[in-house]
Amino acid sequence: MTLVSTDPQRDVFFVSNSVNELGGVTSWSHQMARLLTGRGHRVHVVGITPPGVVQELGEVPYPMTTLYAGQPPRPGRAREASMREQAVRLTALFRAARPGAVVVVTQVWAMEWVAQADTRGLTVIGMSHESFEYSKASSRFQRVRTYYKDVDRMLALTREDADLWIGQGLNNASYLPNPLPFMPEVPSPRTEKAVISIGRLHDQKGIDMLLDTWAEIAPRHPDWRLRIYGSGEDEEILKKQCTALGLDNSVDWMGRTSDVPGALRGGSVFVQSSRGEGFPLALMEAMATAVPCAAFDCAPGVHEIVRDGEDGLLATLGNTGELARRLDTLMSDKELRDGMGDAARINIQRYTTDEIVRKWEDLFAFLER
Amino acid sequence: MNEESLPVPLPASAVAPDVSVVVIVYNDEARLPTAVRSVLEQTLRNVEVVIVDDRSTDGSYDVARRLAVEYPGRVRAFRLERNSGGCGAPRNHGIAQARGTYVLFLDSDDVLERNACRNMLEAAETTGADLVSGMCVRVHVDSRNGKEVKWYPWLYARTRTLESISELPDLLVFDTLSTNKCYRREFLVEQGLEFPVGIHYEDLLFSAQAYAAARRITLIPNRVYDWNVVDKAVAKSISNRRADIANFAHRMEIHRRVDQLLADKGLLELKFHKDVKFLKHDLVLHLRDLPFRDASYREEFAAIARDYLESIDRAAFDEVEPIHAICAYLLQKSDWDNLLPAVDTLTNRDKISSPMVERDGRIYWCAEHLDGHGDGDPDGDFARHVLDVTELGYHVKPVEKMFLRNVLTGYEEAQAGTVRLAGRITNPLGVIPPGARLTGELEFAARRKGVRFQIFRFPVATLRHEGEAIAWEASADLARGLRPLGIVDAVWDVRLHLDVDGARTTTRLTASEPGLADGQLPVRPRLTRLVADHVTPEISSRGHLSFRIVTREKVDALVERGVRGAPGRFAKSGYRKAKAVRRKLTSGDTKIRLYHEVFSRLPVKKGLVVFESHLGRQYSDSPKAIYEEMRRQGLEFEAVWSYTGSGPAGFPADATLVRRWSLPYLKALAQAEFWVDNQSYPLKLTKRPETTYIQTWHGSALKRMGFDEPEWKLRTRPEQAEQQRTLDRFDRFLIRSEHDVRTLARAFRLKEKTLLRVGYPRNDALVQARKREEEVGLRERGALAAELGIPGDKAVLLYAPTFRQHGGRQRRFELPFDVERFADTFGDRYVLLVRSHYLNHVVLPPSVRGRVIDVSAHHDVTPLLALADGLITDYSSVMFDYALLGRPMFFFAYDYEEYVHEGRGTYFDLLERAPGPVVRTEEELHTALASLDEQAVKYAEAREGFVAEFGEYDKGNAAQSIVDQFFAQWRRG
Repeated sequence: MTLVSTDPQRDVFFVSNSVNELGGVTSWSHQMARLLTGRGHRVHVVGITPPGVVQELGEVPYPMTTLYAGQPPRPGRAREASMREQAVRLTALFRAARPGAVVVVTQVWAMEWVAQADTRGLTVIGMSHESFEYSKASSRFQRVRTYYKDVDRMLALTREDADLWIGQGLNNASYLPNPLPFMPEVPSPRTEKAVISIGRLHDQKGIDMLLDTWAEIAPRHPDWRLRIYGSGEDEEILKKQCTALGLDNSVDWMGRTSDVPGALRGGSVFVQSSRGEGFPLALMEAMATAVPCAAFDCAPGVHEIVRDGEDGLLATLGNTGELARRLDTLMSDKELRDGMGDAARINIQRYTTDEIVRKWEDLFAFLER
Repeated sequence: MNEESLPVPLPASAVAPDVSVVVIVYNDEARLPTAVRSVLEQTLRNVEVVIVDDRSTDGSYDVARRLAVEYPGRVRAFRLERNSGGCGAPRNHGIAQARGTYVLFLDSDDVLERNACRNMLEAAETTGADLVSGMCVRVHVDSRNGKEVKWYPWLYARTRTLESISELPDLLVFDTLSTNKCYRREFLVEQGLEFPVGIHYEDLLFSAQAYAAARRITLIPNRVYDWNVVDKAVAKSISNRRADIANFAHRMEIHRRVDQLLADKGLLELKFHKDVKFLKHDLVLHLRDLPFRDASYREEFAAIARDYLESIDRAAFDEVEPIHAICAYLLQKSDWDNLLPAVDTLTNRDKISSPMVERDGRIYWCAEHLDGHGDGDPDGDFARHVLDVTELGYHVKPVEKMFLRNVLTGYEEAQAGTVRLAGRITNPLGVIPPGARLTGELEFAARRKGVRFQIFRFPVATLRHEGEAIAWEASADLARGLRPLGIVDAVWDVRLHLDVDGARTTTRLTASEPGLADGQLPVRPRLTRLVADHVTPEISSRGHLSFRIVTREKVDALVERGVRGAPGRFAKSGYRKAKAVRRKLTSGDTKIRLYHEVFSRLPVKKGLVVFESHLGRQYSDSPKAIYEEMRRQGLEFEAVWSYTGSGPAGFPADATLVRRWSLPYLKALAQAEFWVDNQSYPLKLTKRPETTYIQTWHGSALKRMGFDEPEWKLRTRPEQAEQQRTLDRFDRFLIRSEHDVRTLARAFRLKEKTLLRVGYPRNDALVQARKREEEVGLRERGALAAELGIPGDKAVLLYAPTFRQHGGRQRRFELPFDVERFADTFGDRYVLLVRSHYLNHVVLPPSVRGRVIDVSAHHDVTPLLALADGLITDYSSVMFDYALLGRPMFFFAYDYEEYVHEGRGTYFDLLERAPGPVVRTEEELHTALASLDEQAVKYAEAREGFVAEFGEYDKGNAAQSIVDQFFAQWRRG
């Protein structure tokens, strides 16, 4: 990405809870920071506090700042005083920026600090990196409504999510999808009779429902295996469930992997059984590797990514019988798998990094009009 | 057009604004700056304001010019040469002056939402639409709590782009505003779109033209426009009559022009939707006013409306509620005698205002028109179609559930303080029989929320049948009899209670002619007599008589100060606090605390059993069978039955009856030795370890249940654990077959030791009936057959479908076959019993009387099963029970795929396992029903297999075996 754009080059700040907390938001912001840097913008990544669990970033070609050395004081008077102090630092960073600068707040908690800083003359964008429904079930819902109310643009991940936020009175809401994390040179040959699942072993990912689903189809496909990648706090319970369902001889617990493309190339079908998602990278990665997906339609982002019946198959959230039928369809029909897998690899390219970066630059320009 | 304008030199290099907002003003100098500021403060900066003054006589134009000077290059001001009297001419002028790529319209008394221009521009540029429309909100500016009402929000639930208006006819039909929209200026110019001038309702035509011409339309859910509404409009007076008629004529003329436009564009589908909306909404607004208008107004109105009604598609009458169609039809016929009562029902939806008539087994709104005459309906087919109200079920309602029209025929002040009233009460279908014992009383009650602590009653002196109505007369000595506390209770509603052989029905008094009730009557308030000592009759917007206490003018201001000022605030805050305390004390949370912290500390009472069936809705099912077996054996125990709904009718007299969730209910549960129930006691109640919970359950499963349902699976782990705790309360769970073990027991994650393989007590009667039948060689019919009036020579079929969820509020269940056709085909051989699920409700036409009987009100299905010689069902779990009888079964699975795949799924494929013919259509059903005997023989083996699989433990002694296991210690001696 050495191409330098003809568009104005801006100062762009990404402000998150932490600059390197393990998770999707960190991956996303550094991917965007690199891309925008590559386009000639001057990027600065800001975190409020040090992370709980660290994500390795490697070398980064832009400055990073973390406001607090440790955790901020507990909410109350001390917190407020410290926030005012830190806001002064943010203000200093912002004031040093050239005209046309943009502040992208990736998480609503970080917005509480940005809201106290002086952002006059800057464009402020607030983001919600999860589906509306998932947010609604958490404390973030009220905070999004409070702190993003007056930002220049509030961004959800899909049109559908944005519309729901608008329905809550966030009249400044719009959306931008996530970019494709990678585009592997070599697609999956789809020769191994394996269904792949990748995700933390946590309630949200619904591996318990995946096992129930698998119990319905495994007897009909004795030559197929279910490979579950990932680790997490529910590992023990899930393995017990697997044994109780009599699935031990068809399920492989693969543990956490650092080689996602490799894991995907070892399978012919990808399955996602999550209770909630935003704009799931795992689905995008599987599709980029030409592996057709069967998934619970748990968020607008899912049916935005997968075109049901064209490049993957979706099932009603929680209906394991239906997900089993979808998997069964894919597992029973090689021609269908090949067709959908190839279509997936082509269709997913509407989220290539070039496309998404262009959308961001257009948005910056639009908000100046 | 000539105009004056303030010359604002524009720099030649100026970029065209993205958006021009045309602000029109007429005599509104005070509010104009607010409207303009709402544009200048838009988040989109590149916006210009074009003010067009319709030759105001106040300072509006000066204000406009000052704004133009203050914001050069952003605000321009224009003035029409002559006042146009409408919105059309100034807006047209604005379009001509606008320079923006897009144009919006704003009225001087309204405001734009801050992000409106940015959101509309983004939508327009992304989709390339000619027209973007957003949500308008009506803001009631003088309401105390800032009332806001969204304008047709269902159109704006989500962003969507239409290639043509025909994709969403409702948009053209309902959202007829021009102001919540953003138009591409080139589009307006190229299409020559202009507002009509010299006629009201110009928005309707302009928006229709724009919708029809637009190549692409994008709707956004964003609030864009605040329409400020002033509610304290001047009350209608007779002097407005001319203006009202003229407005109505304008409205009809605009409608005609829109219809013409749609015809020219070939948009016939839209015209149809518009017709439906006309019947449902436009006409209704005017019809509701009729009772308040005099005869000459009504005639003029009818003449204009009739003319337009001729152009309405008759098929549109099918798309509206029956009362809408009836009113439109009667208006077309100028049948005032039937129309005015119908309008009463239009205004008061549940009111019955016509005597109705039964003819050929159907119920009609009125006896007139049914045979037709001339004009397009020679045989009266259309009239009968429109006036048929059988489906509304008036003929099966008891009088105490009816809200009858009671029209005031006489009002006179007899002597000081006494008012003499007379009226006629509608008697639909003779529901009040000629010989009935009738008494009545007039009731005056203060209109207020909460407790009505002052009610004054006066007897009704005469009541008699008079033609199709009940005529009455009464006098009320208000001076002596009505003693209001004072002006705190300003309005007094009048009701007439009529007792018909002990059943009470309550009516309101309807004034059907304007000016009938008038004048002032003295009263003696207990307090504040100095400020008010008279009442005057008043007709509410629903047409009902009430009385208002008349205050002297000075007093009004005093009262206003009291209510709005400190004393009022103080009183109100005290009242609110008291209400909050009361709410808290009676809340579910408090009750649950009481159960756990107080009742559960009391000792458990030996021999106390709490029974419940279907959450207290019924006295039925296995809990009933166990209870009756315990009574039969004469056990010594204390029985408590829980009930819910209107009252404990139908529950046993020899048990203590408690309302579900009442304190006695909670106390009984806390102290019970046994809980016996078929569904669930309140989830939040913890069962004490000393209490034994016998969960009988209420049917074997076809549909997936419990943790096999998507909804349960989706819950988080803590939520699932919480759910499991409620299931773990079961100490015993009744099982009919190993199928139950594989499905229900697994789905509820029950431990093996809780499973009680004894069969269902409710099915003992069925197993025994079959045994008896086999021993005697004869099927005996019990008392129920006689009660239902079933002749001995007819076979009984029972139709028992499963519950169906219907979208929205409509709870009526429509039979999936033509019940009249069924009766005509099989009426000589069968009596059909229809039992809808207790959550659904069915109406049968009078034509099938004696041949088809609604038995939905019967609590207990078991006697019905025992009576039926054959069962028709779809997927209801009664199939598992009925199979025990060994009688023919029919499966009318007209929506099987939808039921199985779109719902939560099934445990097995009914199509493969059904022990009887599975039919998909009404024709197939008729064919299958042709011979019961043939089906009985053909599927005998299949039924035995079905029973073996799903009812292997149902041996006819379940109740007895439960008594033996749990309650034997209470046997006497």
